[in-house]
Amino acid sequence: MNNKKILIVDDDPDVRQGINIRLRANHYDTFFAADALSSVVEARKHEPDLIILDLGLPGGDGFVVMERLKLIPSLAVIPIIVVSARDVRTNQERALKAGAKAFLQKPVDNAELLAVIRQALGETEPLETAR
Amino acid sequence: MKEKALQILLVEDNAGDARLLREMFSKEKPGSFELTHLLRMSEATIHLAKGGVDIVLLDMGLPDGHGLDTVRRAHAAAPGVPIIVLTGLDDEALAAEAMKEGAQDYLIKGQIENRALPRALRHAIERHRMQTETDLIRTDQIRFKDEFLSHVSHELRSPLTAIYQFVTILLDKLAGELNLEQHEYLEIVLRNVKQLQSMINDLLEVTRVQAGKLIIEPQCTSVADAIIYAVNTLQGAATAKGIKLSSNLENRLPLVSADPTRVRQILIILVDNAIKFTPAYGAVKIQVRILDEDPNLLVLEVSDSGCGISSDMTERIFERLYQVTDQGQAGRRGLGLGLYICKELVTRQGGQIWVTSLPQQGSVFSFTLPIFSLAHVISPLLKNDDWPGDSVALVTIEIRATDGWLSKEAREEWSRDTRSLLERCVLPDLDVVLPKMESGGPGELFQVVAFADEIGVGVLTKRIREQFERLNHSKEAGLTLSTSYRLLEPFPTSANSPMNDLANGMAARIEDLIKSESLERTVQS
Repeated sequence: MNNKKILIVDDDPDVRQGINIRLRANHYDTFFAADALSSVVEARKHEPDLIILDLGLPGGDGFVVMERLKLIPSLAVIPIIVVSARDVRTNQERALKAGAKAFLQKPVDNAELLAVIRQALGETEPLETAR
Repeated sequence: MKEKALQILLVEDNAGDARLLREMFSKEKPGSFELTHLLRMSEATIHLAKGGVDIVLLDMGLPDGHGLDTVRRAHAAAPGVPIIVLTGLDDEALAAEAMKEGAQDYLIKGQIENRALPRALRHAIERHRMQTETDLIRTDQIRFKDEFLSHVSHELRSPLTAIYQFVTILLDKLAGELNLEQHEYLEIVLRNVKQLQSMINDLLEVTRVQAGKLIIEPQCTSVADAIIYAVNTLQGAATAKGIKLSSNLENRLPLVSADPTRVRQILIILVDNAIKFTPAYGAVKIQVRILDEDPNLLVLEVSDSGCGISSDMTERIFERLYQVTDQGQAGRRGLGLGLYICKELVTRQGGQIWVTSLPQQGSVFSFTLPIFSLAHVISPLLKNDDWPGDSVALVTIEIRATDGWLSKEAREEWSRDTRSLLERCVLPDLDVVLPKMESGGPGELFQVVAFADEIGVGVLTKRIREQFERLNHSKEAGLTLSTSYRLLEPFPTSANSPMNDLANGMAARIEDLIKSESLERTVQS
């Protein structure tokens, strides 16, 4: 089976690894980036099907990353899900306007994260159990 | 050191009063005061805006000013300048009102003593300076506290995220099998993570309440949905304690005018508390009824069979940071913010919250929400004298995603944007954008009652579509907007019928129409 590729962008290595284990268990291939610059480099290299993007990043925040990705035609179409500890009320609207498919507040419920990923990827298979 | 001359602005249209005041100042040490005399409020605001004035002596009976409004205008033109109002002997009540509007002091004409005047001026300036300083320090402190709380709460979320992720990874056996004991202990960790998470949320919510940033968007809402949501969310916690959590919902509950997210939030806090304070194998129940004393209010009740609250505490538990001190077997204390948040949320939606309780038998927390009524929305319009009354249309506007994707967040955002767009397009004070009704279809639906004929409606819908296309991100988001309308029967404007009957009759017709339209939509989709 051809697994979908997801790029995980978060500067916290523990959070990155946590998301990684969860996604791998759900049969996604994963790649990582920990800052704004490398997230664009990794996206170019792997052309993922979806990007999970933190907002607070070294070297330019998640909004900067979204701007840069938009300028590259092959990457501009990749759906982005923002996962951030920042305030929903002040950042959700901005993230959606910048082109994100969804804004999820940390800590994200596993089931919710997986459901949003599936929806963004256009998958409809039933969810695996997650708490 | 020579003292700088005090710049006084006297705004007084009565030549006699002005002359008297001038004479008083002329007796003062030369160079200690400089008096500018103006006759009109319009001149005074221009002069004040230029700056340089130390204090204003303001007559409250100017030809181009009206009492308190004069004070407001002067205050607005130069918020940092103290004002002393001049009033007549019989106007002391007005003077007191003026002080509330920001005046520092008042002087009664004809009773001003020569020597008292300069002292009153100096005094007013000094008092004003001290007050400004205190206000500044206070605002600073509050802002610091809010920023600090907000910062800390957000920073706590990142490590909490990692803890949650790895506990659930272990629990879901993604790192291998667990024995029963390990499983049980990890469940305890998870429960505590969730508790910590809800505390952080409470903390942020209180910061918002106090900074006046709590957003509440009332719409036409079903309380049944909110109750079902609360029961589903907390069923697990109840079952774990052997508590029976149930709700008793009648079939035909009226809809309320409230923010659905906030109603869910209130219920979650109340039910969560009820479960916490109820011993094992007790019962928690949610009920709804129309308030006996006022048929315009729906009352929601959360009752428990817990330890109860003594009668002297029934008011205090809604205070911020109040915690029940003796809670027996109930376990750990929370932050003491939940009920305070509930009270804020309920009162800001036009309801009330209270508790009745019998110690050792249980408590009933009740809160009210206003029942949704179209008549309430429309009737103020009918009291408008300009209301044409003869041609009325119901315009339906719908936004849909071309690719079928419209996430919950996008829906909320677009709903807000479109609503404000509609508010800009309609005639203010005449047309009305109806509060959100239930949206069963794939798109977001809005309705406007427009007081317009066929041509007028055409202009309105064209304007709405044009404005929507100009929203720079509507195309990127792949959204389309469609409009349709129905002209209503000419509305009877018989002078004999009381206004309220007219409003109710009209509201009923519009409500029927909306219902039949939403039925059609359901059939179509």
